[in-house]
Amino acid sequence: MSQTTRSRQGLSPALRGESSVPRAIGIGLLWIAVALGIVMLVWILVQSFRDTREIMATPFGLPTSWKLDNWVTAWTVGKFAEATVNSVVTAVVSSVLTVVVAAPAAYYLGRVDNRLTRGLALYFVLGLGVPVQVILIPLFVMLNEFYLTDSLIGLNLVYIGVSMPFTVFLLIAFFRSLPEEVEEAAAIDGAGPWRTMLLITMPLAKGGILTAFVLQLISHWNETLLALTLLQSTDNYTLPVALIGFVQQQTYSGADWGGLFAGICLVVLPMLAIYLWLGRRLSEGLTLGMGK
Amino acid sequence: MTAVLPAPTPRAGRGPTPRAGRGPAPRAGHGNIIAQQRRRLLVPLVGPAFLFYTVLFILPAVAAVWISLHKWAGSGPMTFVGLRNYVQVVQDPLFVRAFGNTLLLLIVVGLAIFVLAFAMSLVLRNMRGRGIARSVIFFPHLVNALVFGTLAGFLFNPGGLVNALLRPFGVTEPPAWLAQENIFPLIMLTLVLVNTGYYTTILMAGVDRIPPYLYEDCALAGANAWQRLRHLILPLTWDVFGTCAVLWTISSVKIFELIWIFGGSSGAGIPPTSTWTAAVYTYVTAFSGQSIPAYGAATASAIISLVLVSLLAVLLRRVMHREAIEF
Repeated sequence: MSQTTRSRQGLSPALRGESSVPRAIGIGLLWIAVALGIVMLVWILVQSFRDTREIMATPFGLPTSWKLDNWVTAWTVGKFAEATVNSVVTAVVSSVLTVVVAAPAAYYLGRVDNRLTRGLALYFVLGLGVPVQVILIPLFVMLNEFYLTDSLIGLNLVYIGVSMPFTVFLLIAFFRSLPEEVEEAAAIDGAGPWRTMLLITMPLAKGGILTAFVLQLISHWNETLLALTLLQSTDNYTLPVALIGFVQQQTYSGADWGGLFAGICLVVLPMLAIYLWLGRRLSEGLTLGMGK
Repeated sequence: MTAVLPAPTPRAGRGPTPRAGRGPAPRAGHGNIIAQQRRRLLVPLVGPAFLFYTVLFILPAVAAVWISLHKWAGSGPMTFVGLRNYVQVVQDPLFVRAFGNTLLLLIVVGLAIFVLAFAMSLVLRNMRGRGIARSVIFFPHLVNALVFGTLAGFLFNPGGLVNALLRPFGVTEPPAWLAQENIFPLIMLTLVLVNTGYYTTILMAGVDRIPPYLYEDCALAGANAWQRLRHLILPLTWDVFGTCAVLWTISSVKIFELIWIFGGSSGAGIPPTSTWTAAVYTYVTAFSGQSIPAYGAATASAIISLVLVSLLAVLLRRVMHREAIEF
């Protein structure tokens, strides 16, 4: 990226005379913000290895020894162990199913263009503007009717339904950007529509589908309001709900900041790992089509 | 891949290609067998998504309108009360406060985010190491807001980091940051810090589209930085601003976690009423467990939020809509 910028500056002297005082200040402030962000992240990680007394005494200190006490507390007292398992299973299962359900629909709506599909696409996009709190109570009542409250199966189903608008919207745009000629070639070679879709188009769409999957993984991992409403017993808690429970426990038993930092790490680190893995693809997926 | 493809007609890969399903006329053309066969797959391909979405999203949304017209405690009989829930909610000082807070987040925090994000995208435009800077400022968007609430609580608590940092500067009696009246401003500040990076990323995509020769034009015409901003950058990124504004409207009305995590501070598990947003009001009215759940009133308050989002989205589209500038 900086390569092109440099060559651009090399090309045009007009672009070079931009170093003004406000700009320099801006650049300075920006790097301070970036540095603070990184320091904050490292700091959280470091604090999760120190006990609360140490943290309060010297908030910037390094651990005297790398104690795992906080992690053990969080894991056992905070019930973060079950919550982590629940969160991993829920996020993975619901994201896989979301993509499995949404991709064929997006394929059809992206490829076939008539009044019906345009209407259907609009129908799916409509959901993007509905705040979750609107469907919160009816969903609770409905799932209760089928004994699906306080159940991870119920939560998974809800996540799939709620994710439809964004995933279908994202994937329609993606399928439209794929060349159609390959499919025509496959058809000429005698492949039926199913084979064409499953063996030709879907493999081509791997990148977009992976992006959609990971974006759902992130949003289901972090989802709080629905999980808080639909889950009641601690055995079923997902991480965000467990974190809320742990914070509220602190009010009565005195703050255990060490344990809390371990809990925060459990919520943040998987996201960091995914981000380091996929990086720009995620930010591009989340800003897709908006800059165009 | 492209080498093997027959290219009888020059077709663009994206955009409205002359596809078979479009209009009745070109149906006879080649490559339409696949399109025709594909068209028959409507039910197996779209059906499951349609079903999930309709049953778990649209149906509840319609049911919400229905419930909001009734007095209902979640079980037992529903009595039809017409629009009385709405009247009751609008007259509830707690709701007025919560709705006002949501508007504050939407407008004040929104403006702050936009000004900062736009400034940052201008600074980042041709800065060294912008890739790294952009990656770092985007990351908070992937983290649960609960984390930021907890951190703010740690940094600002009486024995916390902020007070420790202020002490060397002679601040011996720091303000009570986490006093009830200060929590909401603190939440607003946190929201600005956390969201600016995401919107910067989007705006940058818009700023990056502006071809460099237009900047050269500006330089040759002797435009100063302000004129360039006013007459080049703003008009050409205006539509991206519009998208961002709609995006922020939708996401700001949903804000819940960041407020909820401050519930610990009041002891009851429910955040102080001065910090409530519309989403928190809905949740507490239905599920607090402290009074008889009022599902009707709760959904009515949620529907009001939905109406706000819809109105603003339409309004923003009107206001922000300009003739698309081709460049």
